[in-house]
Amino acid sequence: MEYEYSLNKALHKIVLEKKGDRFILHYREGSFEADIKIISDNLYSLLIEGRSHLIYIARDKEKKYIFLDGQSCIVQMPGQEGKRFDTGEERADQGKSMVTAPMPGKVIKINVSEKEAIRKNQTLAIVEAMKMENEIKSPIEGQVKRIFVRAGDLVDSEKPLLELEPK
Amino acid sequence: MFKKILIANRGEIAVRVIKACQELGIASVAVYSEVDRASLHVQMADEAVCIGPPPAVESYLNMGRIIQTAHDRGVEAIHPGYGFLAENPEFARLCEKEKVVFIGPNSRALELVGDKIRARRTMEKAGIPIIPGMKSIPKDIGEFDQEARKIGYPVMIKASAGGGGKGMRIVYSEDELRPSLEAGMREAKAAFGDESVYLEKYIEEPRHVEFQVLADNYGHIVHLFERECSIQRRHQKIVEETPSQALDPQLRQRMGDIARKVVDVSGYNNAGTVEFLLDKHKNFYFLEVNARLQVEHPVTELATGVDLVHQQIKIASGEKLSLKQEEIRQRGHAIECRIYAEDASSNFLPSSGRILYLKEPKGPGVRHDCGVYSGSEVPIYYDPILAKVIVWAETRESACQRMKTALDDYVLLGISSTVGFLKDVISHPKFGEGATTTGFIKNYFEQWKPKEASQEALQLTLAAAAFDDYCRSQTVAPAFGFREKETLSPWQSLGKWRIGEKD
Repeated sequence: MEYEYSLNKALHKIVLEKKGDRFILHYREGSFEADIKIISDNLYSLLIEGRSHLIYIARDKEKKYIFLDGQSCIVQMPGQEGKRFDTGEERADQGKSMVTAPMPGKVIKINVSEKEAIRKNQTLAIVEAMKMENEIKSPIEGQVKRIFVRAGDLVDSEKPLLELEPK
Repeated sequence: MFKKILIANRGEIAVRVIKACQELGIASVAVYSEVDRASLHVQMADEAVCIGPPPAVESYLNMGRIIQTAHDRGVEAIHPGYGFLAENPEFARLCEKEKVVFIGPNSRALELVGDKIRARRTMEKAGIPIIPGMKSIPKDIGEFDQEARKIGYPVMIKASAGGGGKGMRIVYSEDELRPSLEAGMREAKAAFGDESVYLEKYIEEPRHVEFQVLADNYGHIVHLFERECSIQRRHQKIVEETPSQALDPQLRQRMGDIARKVVDVSGYNNAGTVEFLLDKHKNFYFLEVNARLQVEHPVTELATGVDLVHQQIKIASGEKLSLKQEEIRQRGHAIECRIYAEDASSNFLPSSGRILYLKEPKGPGVRHDCGVYSGSEVPIYYDPILAKVIVWAETRESACQRMKTALDDYVLLGISSTVGFLKDVISHPKFGEGATTTGFIKNYFEQWKPKEASQEALQLTLAAAAFDDYCRSQTVAPAFGFREKETLSPWQSLGKWRIGEKD
């Protein structure tokens, strides 16, 4: 059976083949045989050429959180990658004009008004989460086109706060 | 001794205090906000009462409601934990008036040390070294301007009522002063309900060294040595250890004596912490008294063998402190790492949501103080601390090793946490040397990103994902949403059978 995943922003194909009570895995040019034991719903034990690997796994909709050897990563079904939290810089690079909340929280203050001209890195709004204030800075130079939220609003991550118009 | 205690807090510290109550045979009452119904502290306490909506001002800071709950449940004492009402003199006074024991210092001492400006004046008079800074809270922003120039940039904005980095800002130049003041005041207002801030000289390359103290109600004061808490992000500690690499026995004794003097001068009782800044020439300055149980108290517990929460409760109940200064010893080395729900690779942005899976680290010399569990929700309303890993070993080197192993063994899936970041901090050669200053994170970890996974790890991760999907595709899903995997279970393939029945 062939599976395709998105991991670290790249697509990966892996083929899993059942052979008796073991599994053969084909990845890129190589392949390896694994003895896989389900320890619990969240824990798989893999023996590969006598080496023991413990793999923790948790699932959330189309995402799998996988932890092994002290590191965790998120594996997603292709085409299902949620939007990453962009920083102002990255957003500007992509020429985006929508400013969104970086995390769920509460809008403390909107520092600008519609039609106002803004400089790059100017503070547009302040969003508080878990008792810390985070300044939302403008990724671009231009002007404020629309404001979608008001002080006191609770916002989810990725919720649009303001729309900007590049100069 | 008390029969019943109310814990006016949530998260890992509430759990910590409830455990102490259980050990001392005291019944515990948890209070919780509407989003915390499923929290660990609610599960663990003997009794639990909802005290209001999620925002802290309406629940965990709601003094009237908490006192009323204490009366309703027949509570004799309230443990405030840290944060929330822990250092609020008004609350301590209310407790005194309502005849409920506040497990912490008396309200007068709390008021004195909580008013950072008055505390500094008092300490200065008593001959305790302090950092140059403002002697009063200005009404007018112009005064800040003047004072900042007099003290000399860089200056530090600090909240008069607070700690924990809330409201704190470093200002390097005049044009940053006004926006930083505004932000600092707003944060102070939100965190402590008081927007007063003041300025002081910012000492560069400092170490943050604090002394744990205990004082009973009869004037007997001991210190339980220092904690080095220099590893901070956003002026908030993230790694703490004891003993400090910067102290020698003479300096330790001098600082310890001063710490006791600070407690004496302020008429302080119960557990507290005297914070100092230590510069590179080994000059030390009194910073403030943290009038509460500290987040990092476990390192002291592991190195001295004294249970600080037990001591707090005993002192509050009127017992005499049986510890003698000359009998308290530091043994071995202890380190604490704070596990926050934050994305260290994205400027420590808080991360809320569901913890899909948690495996706590275990092993000899490893302690895990934890307020969450597999499946718990981390709400947006409160401080993002989830848990603390504390290790003890004979030497600093083996304690570092033990911490690394413990963090490697720490599995937390579903939200971002500081686990991976902390592992890199502990593994950093400068940390290994003990060269820890408050600029450590800024100097060595400014643009930190997690290491790229090795080719082998990548392959294994994909294999696990594929195997997981394979298993799920084999899953039969009968009615009632009950799921059992064919690959797992022989029961489905066996057909009908009964135990003891012969064919």
